[in-house]
Amino acid sequence: MSASQSAVRSRAEAVKVSRTFDWMILFTLFFVILGGYHIHYMLTGGDWDFWADWKDRRLWVTVAPIVSITFPAAVQACLWWRYRLPVGATICVLGLLLGEWINRYMNFWGWTYFPVNFCFPSNLMPGAILLDTILLLGGSMTLTAVVGGLAWGLVFYPGNWPIIAPLHVPVEYNGMMFTLADLQGYHYVRTGTPEYIRMVEKGTLRTFGKDVAPVSAFFSGFVSIIIYFLWHFFGKWFAKTDFISDEDL
Amino acid sequence: MKLIKDKVAKLSFVALLVTMTAAIFYTPTASAHGEKSQAAFMRMRTIHWFDLNWSKEEVAINDTMSISGKFHVFAGWPETVDKPEVSFLNIGIPGPVFIRAGSWIGGQLVPRSVSLELGETYDFKVLLRARRPGEWHVHSMMNVEGGGPIIGPGKWVTITGSMGEFTNPLTTLTGQQIDLETYALDSIYFWHAVWYAIGVAWLLFWVKRPMFIPRHIAISSGKAASLISANDKKVGMAFALGTVIMLGVTMGTTNEKYPVTTPLQAGLMRGIKWIEMPATTVDVKVEDATYRVPGRAMQMTLTITNNGDSPIRLGEFNTASVRFLDADVLEDESGYPDDLLAEEGLTVSDNSPWAPGETRTVSVTASDAAWEVYRLADLIYDPDSRFAGLLFFFDEDGNRQMTMVDAPLIPSFI
Amino acid sequence: MAATTESVKADAAEAPLLNQKNLWLGLLLYLVFYSFIRWYEGVYAWSAGLDSFAPEFETYWMNMLYIELVAEVVLASALWGWLWKTRDRKVMSITPREELRRHFHHWVWLCMYGWAIYWGASYFTEQDGTWHQTIVRDTDFTPSHIIEFYLSYPIYIITGVSSFLYAKTRLPTYSEGLHLMYLVSVIGPFMILPNVGLNEWGHTFWFMEELFVAPLHYGFVFFGWAALAVMGVVNTEVMSIAKLIKKDLA
Repeated sequence: MSASQSAVRSRAEAVKVSRTFDWMILFTLFFVILGGYHIHYMLTGGDWDFWADWKDRRLWVTVAPIVSITFPAAVQACLWWRYRLPVGATICVLGLLLGEWINRYMNFWGWTYFPVNFCFPSNLMPGAILLDTILLLGGSMTLTAVVGGLAWGLVFYPGNWPIIAPLHVPVEYNGMMFTLADLQGYHYVRTGTPEYIRMVEKGTLRTFGKDVAPVSAFFSGFVSIIIYFLWHFFGKWFAKTDFISDEDL
Repeated sequence: MKLIKDKVAKLSFVALLVTMTAAIFYTPTASAHGEKSQAAFMRMRTIHWFDLNWSKEEVAINDTMSISGKFHVFAGWPETVDKPEVSFLNIGIPGPVFIRAGSWIGGQLVPRSVSLELGETYDFKVLLRARRPGEWHVHSMMNVEGGGPIIGPGKWVTITGSMGEFTNPLTTLTGQQIDLETYALDSIYFWHAVWYAIGVAWLLFWVKRPMFIPRHIAISSGKAASLISANDKKVGMAFALGTVIMLGVTMGTTNEKYPVTTPLQAGLMRGIKWIEMPATTVDVKVEDATYRVPGRAMQMTLTITNNGDSPIRLGEFNTASVRFLDADVLEDESGYPDDLLAEEGLTVSDNSPWAPGETRTVSVTASDAAWEVYRLADLIYDPDSRFAGLLFFFDEDGNRQMTMVDAPLIPSFI
Repeated sequence: MAATTESVKADAAEAPLLNQKNLWLGLLLYLVFYSFIRWYEGVYAWSAGLDSFAPEFETYWMNMLYIELVAEVVLASALWGWLWKTRDRKVMSITPREELRRHFHHWVWLCMYGWAIYWGASYFTEQDGTWHQTIVRDTDFTPSHIIEFYLSYPIYIITGVSSFLYAKTRLPTYSEGLHLMYLVSVIGPFMILPNVGLNEWGHTFWFMEELFVAPLHYGFVFFGWAALAVMGVVNTEVMSIAKLIKKDLA
């Protein structure tokens, strides 16, 4: 490479080049992360996310945050330490939700005709905002893991409650009580998903009163802290720029 | 000229968008079905469906039809399929073309999984309400945990009308009248849109400034601190606090709006009632059984003893939902699907009535193209080459007795 | 792309740094193609895709599978072969401006990779979940699998490997060896395809119902993580481009 020549002809062009790369990098990052995060999330917590009659007070609340804090932690590790951009979690969740919404609308509804009020995704946005802002304000991975990770678990249920509450209104049907979400699962036939596959609360222990959601959220937040640490290091590893020599292969 | 060119380009782009949108949403209604690949031994030795009735062959949107009948849980259940301790009475239709308005086993509503007993016979009914027009294959179906879907016979049913007319009205226990098809949809869209917009706003706040290259240069030259301003932190704080406050407020208003909510209902249902079948007075012993590949026929040598007090004849052999009838003894009047009915498919070497107390060995042949069409002939390639089925005997008054056969099958290739 | 330094110099005076046409046409190509595929699914999955033993299934779906497999092998060989054959043997002697232009072109490839990953890993993979709700899974080659595993995955693999080959053969940045994260980001998602073997093997035990979170699917998850390695590629690219424009940007 000839170092004497310049790649750009003016400062204005340099700025334009830099800005154009911003958009192209953002586009690629957004969609690759969307793809990776979506496949990860749908295969580790997908069924809870697909169907309203899986969105219970215990397992959904526990599993969804734990498996979904992974990519945000990893992407934050790259974007913050290398660029001081506190948007890692937000990019992940915006990508995931876009991918999910397109799919639920175009395919769950548009191809196989499940009503959207039965197959809408979970809302992860409040947790993502908190994770990013905590990283910005504290500038610390440990703080983000502990406070952000816990918040990620804790706010999941409140963030979704306004969306799912109407579906938890009880109804009497043929002599049995259902929630409307249960009835959706019964009415809208899923040929490939019999009822026994559904993993929802069946416990009997009510140590903390009648509602298990806060306990589940707290436990989920606790595990999310650990997962955050782990995935933050994954993120740092994935952000490496090392080369291996051709001979090593 | 350029103006025209621009216009053409614009119009073409619009046309492209319209075409693509139309393409994506175009989904005509036509269908087939998909049960033939199930291993033959699984269809023959698990759940035997009989006395089935489809109440209608054509049904308008919002109207109901039912599929009802009986199923026998085979005592010789194969080892490779988990026992039906956790089972779900499903319906074999291509997704929600009907809604399942009700399903019952032994008169008990079964919206959840149930525990079934081997060797018992149950009656069932599934009530369906038409939702999406088209011609659909409607099967009875039992899902068994660790075994998968066990599909019964299917019949074509036509749904007429338009899906837009479908409604699913309900009254909740709080007295609210709703249409479950569209219920709460607005609020689902609204809350997701609001939170998504907040996320986009946060991203835009950072994206509107130079991002990757200049920030990398700043950090690598030790100026990382300059990248986050006091204002950035203020905005961050506002977003964080705003999020927490919004969560608190929306949680509160939601609880006000929906003061009564219940957890999802789940749990296995045990103690499902079976039918007390009349005691069988016929004893059947399978001496041997062969499947003749070229003739598409199964031939059994049976030693049959009539321990009852009235003469009987063999009328039907039912396996994997295919019914082989001896036309002299039995005629089907239930409208059973043609492709699963061999009206003259059962030949008995001597089907004169067995007198009370009589024992006679006969050769019974069940032949029909269904062996091939329904891939039952593939039994000879299964890792557990046994067959099983139900035999129905009739006395002069038309009284029916049911017995099971279960024996190894030897293929014959010549 | 010019293969010799001489022609590069001639081009450099005229050609724009980023050929936006390539970018938009590329994105449009995937969009139009996948819209067609979605239309095909909408029409023929319902009319011919529910019963794998029906003759129409062979016509509309198995033939689709055979055609796409052949087309993918041909396309991959042609594209990768061409990228390798036209490699720049004097990559270290190109001008900085040409290098910058190639970085832009490389990013056109990477944008396509991101776009292809979206369709494969997000759109068609989750779509599979809903299709298997409507059918009794009677074959490995269900309509959604024929599109997901054997069309959308190979397409992002072809795109990703092409992008990698472009970088390796045209950019000085990548001449010092093999970029570990680039390899991970291309090979990881590639491994999702062989992992189909595990998936289908698992499904032969019985007619499994559609449980997406089944441990059998974790192979896909593991390889999906490799998508994160795109961050390593971004970082390397940012460092290289920063080197090229740093003094002008200051």
